[in-house]
Amino acid sequence: MQRVTRSAVRHARNCVYVNGVNGSVLSRRYSVLPPARDEEEKTMLDRMLRVDHAGEYGANRIYAGQMAILGRTQTGPLIQHMWDQEKKHLEKFNTILGEQRVRPTLLLPLWNISGFLLGACSALLGKEGAMACTVAVEESISEHYNSQIRALMEVDPERYTELLQIIKEFRDDEMEHHDTGLEHDAESVPGYFFLKTFIHTGCKAAIYISQRV
Amino acid sequence: MAALIRGLRAGKALRGLASVAVQAKLSSQCNRVRRGIHRAAVLRLADDFKSNSVSPPSYHEVHTAGESSSSSTQGDFSNTAAGKEYGQPNTSYQDQSGEHDEDYETEEQLQARILTASLEFVPLHGWSVEAIAAGAETLSLSAASTGMFNNGAGDLVLHFIAECNSQLAATLAEQQNQIQLGQAEPKKTAEFLRDAVDLRLRMLIPYIDTWPQAMSILLLPHNIPDSLKHLSTMVDDIWYYAGDRSTDMNWYTRRAALTGIYNTTELVMVQDSSPDFEETWAFLDNRIKDVVNMANTAKQVQATGEAVVQGLMGAAITLKNLTGMNQRR
Repeated sequence: MQRVTRSAVRHARNCVYVNGVNGSVLSRRYSVLPPARDEEEKTMLDRMLRVDHAGEYGANRIYAGQMAILGRTQTGPLIQHMWDQEKKHLEKFNTILGEQRVRPTLLLPLWNISGFLLGACSALLGKEGAMACTVAVEESISEHYNSQIRALMEVDPERYTELLQIIKEFRDDEMEHHDTGLEHDAESVPGYFFLKTFIHTGCKAAIYISQRV
Repeated sequence: MAALIRGLRAGKALRGLASVAVQAKLSSQCNRVRRGIHRAAVLRLADDFKSNSVSPPSYHEVHTAGESSSSSTQGDFSNTAAGKEYGQPNTSYQDQSGEHDEDYETEEQLQARILTASLEFVPLHGWSVEAIAAGAETLSLSAASTGMFNNGAGDLVLHFIAECNSQLAATLAEQQNQIQLGQAEPKKTAEFLRDAVDLRLRMLIPYIDTWPQAMSILLLPHNIPDSLKHLSTMVDDIWYYAGDRSTDMNWYTRRAALTGIYNTTELVMVQDSSPDFEETWAFLDNRIKDVVNMANTAKQVQATGEAVVQGLMGAAITLKNLTGMNQRR
């Protein structure tokens, strides 16, 4: 019986999505995702988009923390450039979340503070520390995007073409940041291995939680 | 299952009748009366089983076992009912068609139909299984179809809420279409929220006398997850059509505020006796004003905070200049 009410609710919302998209095709660009077919797909997409949004938000805050410490040094412009790209990513995800009516993660304030602290603390270790943090974070994010790309390709690559394109583009940007970090002596920071492992674990935990909460 | 119970009840009735007859003088007349009563009871039961046999076949499958295990006095009647049943080639639970409509209908659609029909009996029977039974009977189904609804009155209330929410979403979508086509003016957020809550609460007016009962049913522990889900879906819909596309903590605070407004206004409405619920709408206006004020105050506090921080930074730099710490040597 609950299925009746739930499916009635979903059906009404899906019809409403279709109306919304059709009505607004004239006034704005094509939507990134087709309306969800059923509840399972909606849940899967919700989780993906929520964690991606949280990830970009966290990355933003990490760069903000690094800029706060190293903003006036030589590496300032480099970090600023990477930060600007992350800002663009976050903007894109904000738009997608609004369109798809995805709930943002409740832990955003937590990622705000911990991202800033991580960026600031790694920057206190100097330029190499900041670069090491960048390398570790970008590696985590790229791995995460890759697994999402794999998952979407497994389900239905044609249905999710736009979304796949966006995620691939972002993943390429993150890989570029990762390589930039390596170029700028990330590995020469003392305790590089421990720092990297610590950040990897933190990112994995953050991804796991953000999918659900 | 229900038929089994009925069979047992009938059996008890028969025994009762028999005992009454025994208490009376055991004369041949009495014996004749007893046999007559017995036959009448059998015929009544047979009629019941006959009426059951025209209800949807799926229901048959559930209680065929019950039928055949009930009193054997029914003899040919139960056999014909069962025979009719086994004669049908298609007895899958999913794939059923009611005897009275031509189209293929799923169980869920049938349940929805019954519950919708039951709503008109709610003012009479309250939110209860009796209302569902009455609704089923208007669709020419047996009153025993209430057995389909494990949650009883809860199913009826949740169905009603889901219907109201779908209607609300459809109306809001239509309004949005009108605005996009340029046929209507976009409303300010406060006014939009007020109108949406007003619209949704007016759907309760036909059932307002029994609504406290419905609310208490929704508060039962096994109904709480579903009722919360419906509430959150409704609030999300209203904010979406109000134009909220926030992706930060505002998403949560706005929905929490609207949930508070809706719940309190609903409570006020339930005990409001003014003509056309004027007091309720006045209460709603005041609550919306409160929320708007709070939002404005929050913005002001933030702006003031930023200005204060800027002022402090300026003062610090001035101090540094005055003490000569800013100069490069």
